[in-house]
Amino acid sequence: MAERVFITGMGMITAIGDNVAENLEQLRQQRSGLGYTSYIDTIYKQVLPVAEVKHPNDALAALAGIALREGYTRTTLLGLTAMREALQQAGITDVQTAPTGFINASTVGGMCDTEKVYFDIVDPAKEGTFLQYIDTLDCADCTQRIADTVGFSEHIATISTACSSSANALMFGARMIKQGFLPRMVCGGTEALTRFTLNGFNSLKNVDKQFCRPFDQQRTGLNLGEGAAYLVLESESFAKANNSRILAEFTGYCNANEAFHPTSPSPEGDGAYEAMKAALAMSGRTLKDVDYINVHGTATLNNDVSEGKALERLFGNDVPLFSSTKPFTGHTLAAAGAIEAIYAVLAIQQGLIFPNLNFTEKMEELNITPVTALMEGVSVNNVISNSFGFGGNNASLVISKYEG
Amino acid sequence: MKVKCYIQGMAAISPQSTFEGDVFSAPLVHTDSNLLTCMEPDYKPFIPANSLRRMTRVLKIGLTTALQSIRDSGVEAIGPIVTGTGKGSLQDTEKFIREIEQYKETALNPTPFIQSTYNSVNGLIALQVKGTAYNNTFVHRGFSFENALLDSMMLLAEGASNTLTGAFEEMTAEHFYIKSRIGFWKAAATDSRQLYEQLSPGSIAGEGATFFVLTGTPTSQSKAALTGFKMLYKPTAEKVAAGLSAFKEGIDLVLTGRNGDSRYEHFYQQADVLFPGVPQLPFKHLCGEHDTAGAFGMWLGAQILHRQQIPAGWFPMLKDIPATAGRILLYNHFYGEQHTMMVLERV
Repeated sequence: MAERVFITGMGMITAIGDNVAENLEQLRQQRSGLGYTSYIDTIYKQVLPVAEVKHPNDALAALAGIALREGYTRTTLLGLTAMREALQQAGITDVQTAPTGFINASTVGGMCDTEKVYFDIVDPAKEGTFLQYIDTLDCADCTQRIADTVGFSEHIATISTACSSSANALMFGARMIKQGFLPRMVCGGTEALTRFTLNGFNSLKNVDKQFCRPFDQQRTGLNLGEGAAYLVLESESFAKANNSRILAEFTGYCNANEAFHPTSPSPEGDGAYEAMKAALAMSGRTLKDVDYINVHGTATLNNDVSEGKALERLFGNDVPLFSSTKPFTGHTLAAAGAIEAIYAVLAIQQGLIFPNLNFTEKMEELNITPVTALMEGVSVNNVISNSFGFGGNNASLVISKYEG
Repeated sequence: MKVKCYIQGMAAISPQSTFEGDVFSAPLVHTDSNLLTCMEPDYKPFIPANSLRRMTRVLKIGLTTALQSIRDSGVEAIGPIVTGTGKGSLQDTEKFIREIEQYKETALNPTPFIQSTYNSVNGLIALQVKGTAYNNTFVHRGFSFENALLDSMMLLAEGASNTLTGAFEEMTAEHFYIKSRIGFWKAAATDSRQLYEQLSPGSIAGEGATFFVLTGTPTSQSKAALTGFKMLYKPTAEKVAAGLSAFKEGIDLVLTGRNGDSRYEHFYQQADVLFPGVPQLPFKHLCGEHDTAGAFGMWLGAQILHRQQIPAGWFPMLKDIPATAGRILLYNHFYGEQHTMMVLERV
């Protein structure tokens, strides 16, 4: 019998807060983190809204508890800030006291800093301090700097499956625990805003000039965000022997591919349907046991139709309460899966259903509408959290209330 | 968990003539420019012409190698697709950065952005083979392919009947220059055949794509078995020695990722001490140094075991080459940071 996997620590930083408590407070206050960028050099500065973490890099370093060091990109600093909180919350003062793995996720690694100096780096005539960023572009750079700063020396890995990256990091960590490789894993992702990704999504014509409106008939695209989030996962036997405080149980997951199109989901949401269905089956829960779905809900034309269709196909006329928290945090790409996994735990712990901000008009293709106002005092026992990405990558997680 | 899987099919596009035909009889390809570039096959039998036009090199070599390994395996229904790449599509990344600058962030073509995504090769493979199962991409330098391999073995243990597991890497002129600024390559032009005699800082660059179809149980088609596996992150010399020692049993050939880099040669020298009298073959003069060179090493080891033959022509620098091997230890590391060990056995 494989071990159960528990969540015993969480840490995060997003545009709505530097830690879990601040995120919860802003969710309760229904305050969006969307605004305009202070740190990206772009002609879209005042045109395309983003959900930016409201600190320059030196302040982030202070939050992460380190002096700003050579070659530490914004991606690394966001990650370290979230990592510090996750370990602290799990009561881990030294990761070396028990074998602990680290599975990180990112989509563009250190691009946030390298893109600023790229043309200096490739110019043989130029020398300077920019050279400290020369080897920070890839996704392993942030993983290793976080690992080295914190002291991870067991298994480390970096995953990049577009917007489902950190959901896959959580899954991989849980599977390593179940197969007995390590008793404790820290999993999640980190993503900094870049001119590269902003222009990438804008060239695909799926960035909204207004604040994004998931599942709304008038939606016209997503807003990018940045942030980082990590969850500490422990095997049941380790958590009990360690007397860990158990926040929730990670009961199900599925990674499925659509094999439909490089950047668009299938119109009927085949991948989303399969991912949710299989994750729920693994969790041992039934359709009726699902109290809330934190949808991927990017507010792009395609995602919301196909994800909505998948919900209707799976749940029929009894689609559970659902909402997208992207209008709070923006779409944080590789970090989104872990950020939203933490929101799922908060929903369970606090009995909350978060509102899907900016919704006014039902989509004509769907019969369902998201939750639009904060709901409190709800009994939330099982949450599905969805993350779907380019390349047909679909990931669904089931997070459940811990019951002995 | 029992670490064991079987290689059912395999394919490699590399700087050597490894893609088709009697690969071991092909003459050694060498370079004196510190960069070994892939020998590209005719893609037409694998990729429709309209898609081919838009694809950059790493997408083409990745997809084609994946498809060839499936053909080689005889497996019809491919299950999970798991890959590793340290750098993804450098060409598309560079192109998009350059176009943002050149066109001042307006009227950009999204294709290089889409293709720059690290999981784009996986998405393409899934599309082409209609693979709707698990799909994952690891992007951790010298642990990229090895994590994909670990994930695959976990999937097989969880009940998958097979996995398509591979790695791909490309080198561009621009990236070669960037890495030359921080000492990745040798300062002097080096003949790749003399790589191991020219101990100095840096190595020579390479690239390639390697894919395997893996199964959890052996079949009459199985080409080799993977029976031992270890990854060590920034280990001490003692940890490397302990790791190697754990795999000593019955090894009759050691494949090493030696690359002529004097700064990290001491790690490989531990294998000399721990395996006295066991013949060694270095493989980086064949594929060059890159994040996923370990996948090429595994391909070479599996080929040797499957064919029961060692291609002497590929190792002109060695005096004595054994005729064959039954159990191989592969030890590779990427610039001293990610160390990987594998045991491959004849089936």
